[in-house]
Amino acid sequence: MKTMTMKTKRTFFILVCLLPGLLLFSLFKVYPTFQIFQKSLYLWTGLSDEPKYIGFKNFADMLHDETFLLSMRNTGFLMLVVPIVTIMIALVNASILTQSKLKERGFYRTVFFFPSILSFVVIAILWSFIYHPTMGFVNTGLEMVGLEEWAKPWLGDQRTVLWALAITLIWQAAGYYMVMYMAGIDSISPELYEAADLDGATRIQQFFRITIPMLWEIIRVTIIFSINGVLSISFIIVSIMTGGGPDRHSEVVMTYLYAQAFTNSNFGYAMAIGVVVFMISMLLALVSNKLTERGSY
Amino acid sequence: MKKKNWFTFAAVAIALTTTLAGCGSGNSPSNESTPPSSASPSASDTAAASPSEGASPAGKTFENPELDVAVFQGGYGREFWDSAAEAFMQDYPGTKINITASPKIGELIRPKIVAGNPPDFMYISGSDNTPLVNGLIKDKALLDLTEVFEELTPEGAPLKDKILDGVLNSRATSPYDDGKVYLAPYNFGVMGLWYNKALFEAKGITPPKTWDDFFAANAAAKENGRALLTYQGIYPGYLEEMIVPAIYAAGGQEALKQFFDYDPEFWKSDTFKQVWGLMEKIATEDNALMTGTVALNHTQSQTAFLQGKAMFIPNGSWFEDEMKDAPREDGFSFGYLGVPSFGADKPVSALTNVETVVIPAKAKNPELAKEFLKYLYTDKIVQLNGDKAKAVMAVKGAPDLVKAYITETTYNVYKAADDGMIAVNGAFKPVAKGSKFNPSDEVYKPFSSIMSKQMTLDQYAEKLYKVYSEIQKELEAAGAQ
Repeated sequence: MKTMTMKTKRTFFILVCLLPGLLLFSLFKVYPTFQIFQKSLYLWTGLSDEPKYIGFKNFADMLHDETFLLSMRNTGFLMLVVPIVTIMIALVNASILTQSKLKERGFYRTVFFFPSILSFVVIAILWSFIYHPTMGFVNTGLEMVGLEEWAKPWLGDQRTVLWALAITLIWQAAGYYMVMYMAGIDSISPELYEAADLDGATRIQQFFRITIPMLWEIIRVTIIFSINGVLSISFIIVSIMTGGGPDRHSEVVMTYLYAQAFTNSNFGYAMAIGVVVFMISMLLALVSNKLTERGSY
Repeated sequence: MKKKNWFTFAAVAIALTTTLAGCGSGNSPSNESTPPSSASPSASDTAAASPSEGASPAGKTFENPELDVAVFQGGYGREFWDSAAEAFMQDYPGTKINITASPKIGELIRPKIVAGNPPDFMYISGSDNTPLVNGLIKDKALLDLTEVFEELTPEGAPLKDKILDGVLNSRATSPYDDGKVYLAPYNFGVMGLWYNKALFEAKGITPPKTWDDFFAANAAAKENGRALLTYQGIYPGYLEEMIVPAIYAAGGQEALKQFFDYDPEFWKSDTFKQVWGLMEKIATEDNALMTGTVALNHTQSQTAFLQGKAMFIPNGSWFEDEMKDAPREDGFSFGYLGVPSFGADKPVSALTNVETVVIPAKAKNPELAKEFLKYLYTDKIVQLNGDKAKAVMAVKGAPDLVKAYITETTYNVYKAADDGMIAVNGAFKPVAKGSKFNPSDEVYKPFSSIMSKQMTLDQYAEKLYKVYSEIQKELEAAGAQ
């Protein structure tokens, strides 16, 4: 009897402690999310106080909206390329920096991490000058080594713009994940590598047989972080670097959502896009989680 | 596993909600100020009971003496609004004007509008903010101001006579084509092509009067080591400053109406072929378009122009002020040319635009807001606007009234528009509520592809024909409801 009351007291205490956090979470996260779902069923400019209920029309319209489909394709491209390349680069760099016992290890660690502490706006402006068609680092560099016929307006050509943006996104994120992986590698017992050395395993074998399996749980989380990161960061990068151009070939779903909500006063439709993005990113997270489950690689 | 899935779910949900929430919030702090009021508000309490005489020059008193004004604080600053409010409060004792000013005024007042509690008077400008006004137009949430312009001024003529010709029946002020004014004209801007006057004078080049002259100038451009034209690449919307006057020059008001009212046949017309042909020529002719233009933003391309990388660029009367800190080639001086014509006997033209001020239909104090609006058109305030904002209002004779305050370049631009240059204005008809199309984006964004020769005019025309047909269909469907 006595233990029961202790237990109830304990539960009661925990509940009271959780309450303020839960309340704030519901008010600022759950309620707005619920609102997104609700508003997606309305024809609403986002200004008047009388939205009109139109059922699932917003969702049906999306299927015929070519710009939306194009923006989904562009976002899909970035979501596929950026996480994969970012994580590969981060893994290789992390492994080299931890294994090779370089003297400048700390220095490289700082330098690679540097982009992560810059604001996205600064990164976008920086890269729009790197890609600047006449005075940019890329084109002048190509000219210097005599490859001027390769010079292009990278952000103005519909065939290169997405790759150019992808590189910016990768540059921004690779250092961050690298530091995460380095911390992970540091916690792998050195005996494993020593034993592998004794057995004659090469560095590359060690990377695939020891580092990656031991880091697997961290990699799984970072894949999901990275996919979601692309979704939100691409908004800032695209808004500043290309404005969705040329001719919408770099429009991503977040910039299109924003344009529909705030430039086209189509708030209900924008919320419907938000719902679809929500579903898709959740689906992607689940799928990637399932695919990377231990034992399935 | 279950637990982990839940974690992912939560992580995604949080990441997404924060992203979406980010779109709406991020308010910059409001800098609300209340200029000192000379009279005490209590005076109005008695005034409401028994209208007192001679309280103001107009002999008017107001039941509600307080006015909430929201203004865009952009290139023209907020000083004008502060001093105009002060002058108004002096001339109308007992009134009190609260001014909210911000570069992001749209974001600031959006929640108030949604809550049904809008400011009484708004000056919304700047590309971040104007969509708000477009939303209000779609919602039909603006006050009808027609009678304000019918009222007689102290000089004895109706106020509308004071406004520049052609402004009050344009779509900028009368968006529903019903002859009623919903947006009151404020600053007036002139747009067109610019060149380096010093260079033209030194080398004896004459500014082109016709499109043939324009393309002939390419030789001179090449000689002087520059391309013929650049524009604000990633914002191809600036090209309207050349295209709209050219449509008018080629096909007259008729063609302009087709273009702005979504007649799909426009995209099969000769006017289309003639005007867009010019753009194609710019895209294809050697040395015509500055290398890399399509990838530049407005500052980058305008700086390239100032540095002598291109001979012409489209921009508006704000150009000189906008770029005052930018590097430029030696001896650069601004020259304004307008938009060339299609024949030596035809005058050059220019695109004009009017910034507007509005009173929301739900304003709490529409009477005082209207009085304040009328007050803005007095000579005193037009001059004050020139002094504090360095801007020219869409009022007859305004350039001369404010000559002392604006630069010579700016004055000459306005004078040029006054003397024989054809002023062209126009705006797209509002699309149906809920339409996915933003007409200006649909028309101008593909120019990036045309300029990089990745889209032919035929493909473009076909696409726009479809877009216009759909916009029409949506409008009809909305009208039927």
